[in-house]
Amino acid sequence: MFHGSLTHIMGTRFDLVLIGKGRELSVSVWDRIIRELERLGNMLNRFDPASEVSRINQKACSGAVRVSDEMWKILLDCRRYHDRTAGLFDITLRDFSALDLQPERQAISFLHPELSLDLGGYAKGYAMKRLLEILKTCGAEHAFIDFGNSAIYGLGHHPYGNSWSVSIGNPYRHGEPVGEFALMNTALSTSGNTPDYTGHIVNPLNGEKNTDQKMICVECDDPLDAEVLTTAMMAAGSGQKEKMMKRFQVIQWKEFDLQH
Amino acid sequence: MSKKTEKQTDLGLRQFIKDLGYLSGGAALLATTPWLQSFTPEKAKEIQSEKARIALIGTGSRGQYHIHNLLPMKHAEIVALCDIYAPNLKEAARLCPKAKKYTDYRKMLESPDIDGVVIATPLNWHAPMVIDALSAGKHVFCEKSMALTMDQCKAIYDASRKTDKVLYFCMQRLFDEKYIKGMQMIHSGLIGDVVGLRCHWFRNHDWRRPVPSAALERQINWRLYRQSSAGLMTELASHQLEVCNWAMHRIPRSVVGLGDIVHWKDGREVYDSVSLTYRYGNGVKITYESLISNKYNGMEDQVLGSKGTMNLATGMYFLEGEDASANSGIEQLLSQIGNKVFAAVPAAGSSWRPETQKAYKPHYIVEGKYHINDGLSMIGAVKDGSDEILSAFCQACITGEKGKDIVEEAYCATMLCLLGNQAMEEQRKIDFPDEYKIPYMKFE
Repeated sequence: MFHGSLTHIMGTRFDLVLIGKGRELSVSVWDRIIRELERLGNMLNRFDPASEVSRINQKACSGAVRVSDEMWKILLDCRRYHDRTAGLFDITLRDFSALDLQPERQAISFLHPELSLDLGGYAKGYAMKRLLEILKTCGAEHAFIDFGNSAIYGLGHHPYGNSWSVSIGNPYRHGEPVGEFALMNTALSTSGNTPDYTGHIVNPLNGEKNTDQKMICVECDDPLDAEVLTTAMMAAGSGQKEKMMKRFQVIQWKEFDLQH
Repeated sequence: MSKKTEKQTDLGLRQFIKDLGYLSGGAALLATTPWLQSFTPEKAKEIQSEKARIALIGTGSRGQYHIHNLLPMKHAEIVALCDIYAPNLKEAARLCPKAKKYTDYRKMLESPDIDGVVIATPLNWHAPMVIDALSAGKHVFCEKSMALTMDQCKAIYDASRKTDKVLYFCMQRLFDEKYIKGMQMIHSGLIGDVVGLRCHWFRNHDWRRPVPSAALERQINWRLYRQSSAGLMTELASHQLEVCNWAMHRIPRSVVGLGDIVHWKDGREVYDSVSLTYRYGNGVKITYESLISNKYNGMEDQVLGSKGTMNLATGMYFLEGEDASANSGIEQLLSQIGNKVFAAVPAAGSSWRPETQKAYKPHYIVEGKYHINDGLSMIGAVKDGSDEILSAFCQACITGEKGKDIVEEAYCATMLCLLGNQAMEEQRKIDFPDEYKIPYMKFE
């Protein structure tokens, strides 16, 4: 068993538990993972003024900004998710229509002066997909990948069980579990407010900050789908949720009302 | 005690020191803890057929604690006991029936059948007894602190420079595994730059022993009177200030402090509440506090680094930027796999964010075994290094090898205690006096 841990990466912490690959191979996998996470952090972190997304946020109001191939694919992907969630997933957090994507130049410009990109609801899911590619290339069959508890992937199964079993903690009642998921080659994303971090999820359709005492968990084969959906679901009305879920391959999803 | 029950009780620390020697950097470590160099399993074997003939002066609670530590040691035998208080001498004699009894320590020192003397008497007796014993050609192990006054400390230090005999003071943290390993971690940079030190010792007890007659009050409760005691500083703080200097590799330049009798107003003359700040040349400070009318905070020797915090007394350290609650799921998973158990782990939840850390994840300095001294015992804690340092002394009685730096460490720590008392009594800042500086001291 190998355990790797990073305490500050992409705005959160990261843990990998890798089973049955021996020390040497595990360490080399871990090295590749660290490098990839640092690379992605340098591209997608809007709090780092030198990142590509920061460069876009600084310049796209005053003209078209050419972007890297990878960033271009990400932006197109975010547009697809925006459409598939009926606008509830929105990396502009306010008006996706003010984002002008120019395919001929692979460039982007903002049509609204206060627009900026926030890939917070996307980056961890995207990173998780990239890490799974690395793990599979290296022949890893069983691993537990934990991105700050809110994005988890269970590859294969626990050495003494038939899945990776995780329980969901209630942030308002410390230590109280509210639900349980058994992951086997599936991803679990969780989104919600906590007592000391409320109102960070914005409904892009009306600009309102979500302050509900609730938590949403989505389990999918695809970690990016799971990540995008939890964010969109926090903003969705009751009728929208079922409709949206039907457009994705969701294994299960749960909403926990934590008010009581 | 029969031969069958004898055992080498200090093998744990000896093996630990041996292991340190094998580690990369182990030689460097032993160079910074030179008093440990000869304390190895090999040396224990070398001296196993010999016995240090030990005499005790002072057979009260601490003297008897040493007797209990000495009895199982293969390389020591207790040959003489001395006390002026008959009930204690009688109890000690019951433990060591073969030992010769004395009531005059000078008379005892005349005996040629004694190699080493263990002194566990009131503080005002340390200086005359240590100096007399060295002059009589005995090796000496004396309880901390070194002595009651600065002049006495200097006299002992000077005597130790002139003698070829071994002199130890019971600064047991120097022989405590978790302190040794913790210091290694501090000096290797694990917690970054040392930026502060916080030590405290809290108890809720009047510090009194029962007195059979009023005439014996000052003799039995010697800790409470200035003629025989320097109070909380020499009885408790000396260990902790020594730890600070060990961590810092230097001595504070100055001290300020306040001392009062706030609760136990029973005629005692020493403070029951002290708060002091010692300042090193680089601006790093020791905040020291001791109170014996509230024990909530217990005892701790805490070294604050720019990257982490070392709690030496409880044997734990914490690194900046590690959140305990967020990590517990992964920790549980690792422990599960290690124990071949499968169960749900509380790993999932709303995103963990570094800026909201509340609790730090604890790490143990010595994995798997740690003995916590809660500081409440008035006699001595189990496995706090006291038996090991005494064993090292008995070994030295056989080999004649001096304990490197032990006298100097005890001198520095005691001087700081006494300067602290002076600062509190005179209510002013005291700079370390030039006349008491020794070459061992580094101030910058």
